[in-house]
Amino acid sequence: MRLTATVNGRARTFEVEARSTLLEVIRESLLLTGAKEACGVGECGNCMVLLDGEPTPSCLVLAPDAEGREIVTVEGLAPEGALDEVQAAFLEAGAFQCGFCTPGMVITAGALLRDQPNAAAGEIKQALAGVLCRCGSYTKVMKAMEKLAGRGA
Amino acid sequence: MKRLREFSYHEPESLEAAIGILAAGGDGARLLAGGTDLVVDMKTGRMRPSIVVNLKRIPGLSGIEAVEGGIRIGALTPVATLQASPLVGQMAAALADAAAVLATPPVRGLATIGGNIGRASPASDLGPPLIVHEAIATIEGPDGSREETVESLYVGPGATTLAVHDIITSIFVPTPAAGFGSAHLKIGARAGGTDIAMVGVSAGVTLGADGRIAAARIVLASVAPTPLRAIAAEQALAGREPSEEAVAAAAAAAAAACRPISDLRASASHRVALAGVLTARVLRSAIARAREASR
Repeated sequence: MRLTATVNGRARTFEVEARSTLLEVIRESLLLTGAKEACGVGECGNCMVLLDGEPTPSCLVLAPDAEGREIVTVEGLAPEGALDEVQAAFLEAGAFQCGFCTPGMVITAGALLRDQPNAAAGEIKQALAGVLCRCGSYTKVMKAMEKLAGRGA
Repeated sequence: MKRLREFSYHEPESLEAAIGILAAGGDGARLLAGGTDLVVDMKTGRMRPSIVVNLKRIPGLSGIEAVEGGIRIGALTPVATLQASPLVGQMAAALADAAAVLATPPVRGLATIGGNIGRASPASDLGPPLIVHEAIATIEGPDGSREETVESLYVGPGATTLAVHDIITSIFVPTPAAGFGSAHLKIGARAGGTDIAMVGVSAGVTLGADGRIAAARIVLASVAPTPLRAIAAEQALAGREPSEEAVAAAAAAAAAACRPISDLRASASHRVALAGVLTARVLRSAIARAREASR
C-alpha cells in the first residue's frame, strides 16, 4: 500500500506493507538509521521518533498509522549538520557511552523541554523513563538535562 | 528486526464496516487500537491473527466529553489524554491516578482505554479504577448497541465476555455521589509506574452527612485472574467511622481475598502482603479526597 507522510520536513510517498512497522520503514525504506531496534516491543525507547510532535516508539506503530502524519527522527533535529541544543548539551556532558540509546534519549528529551523548558528533576526522570540505557549513562544524561532546564553549570 | 507475520489488513471507516469484517473473519480477526499489546503479542508470536482491523479511521471513537450524569470517554482515547484531562481528574480521580502510572509516557501516548479493557490483563491499571467508579462500556455488535458494566466484562487472563465481532466504543463514568473520593496506587519493581503492577489497588469511599462511611468500593489488580473486587473489605468499612481501625480491618480483608500466582514479578505471598499495605494507603487517600469533596 502507498504511504504519504512528512519525514523530517519533507513530504514523502512510498510503498509499504501493512505489516511493516514505522521503524522498519524509517530504517529500511528511508535509510534513516538513527532510530534503533533493541527490544522491539516498546519497552526500551531506542526506536523513539516524534509522531506529530510526540515521542512515540516506532516499533509499535504499524506503517499505515503514519499516513498523513509528521515524523521527525534524530536526523531531522540537525538538518544542517549543526547540533541542536539538546544534542550539544549531551555532547558537552558526555551523556552517553556506546551511543545506541542516544537518538531515543535526545528525541524524548527535546520534546520534554519544548513543553516544559524548566522541567524539574523528577519530571525529567519520568519523561525519560521510557528510554533505557544499558551503559548506565543516566547520571550524565541528568547532568545535561539539568543544564538545559536552567540549573547547574 | 522482529517482523510481523502476514495478515489481511483493514481500515474500515465505519463501525458497521468494522463489525462486518470481524463477523466474516471469525476467530482469526483482531482489533487494532493503540497496538501496545496487539503488536507486541504478534511480534512474540503469542497472537497470530489472520485479519487485523484498525479502528483508528472510524470517526468519533476518541475524546472525553461531559454528558448528562457523567463523562463519556471514547474507546480510542489514549491513556496520556486521560492523565492530562481535568474532567477525568475531577470526576474519576482513581482513573487519573492509574493513567499516570501506566507504563511509560510514550506508551501512554499510544495505549487506549478501550484496548486496556479488551486486553483484560489481570494486571490492568485501568480496570480497577473503572470498576470502582462503576463505569459502563458501550459495545457495538452485529445486533446493535448494548451497555455492560466494565466489571462484568472480565472473565479471565486475556478473556472477556465480548465476542469477536463486538467493539467497545465508549466508556461512561457516572458523576460520583456527594462526599465521594477515590484513589489508585500501584507497586511495581520501579517507582513512578513504568513496570507492570505487582499489585495495584483502587478504592472509592463515600462519606455520609454524619461523617461515617456510607459505601466503599475496593478493586485490586495482579492478585487474581481478573481485577478483583474485595467485597468483604468493602463491607468492613460500611457504616463505620473512617478511622485507622476501619482502614486496617478493610486492608486485612482485602489481603485475605487475594488469590495471586507467583511469577517473575513477585511471589504470591509477597503480593498478599503488598495488597494489605497498598489497600490501607489507598483508602487513606480516598478518605482524604472524600473529606475534601464533603466540604
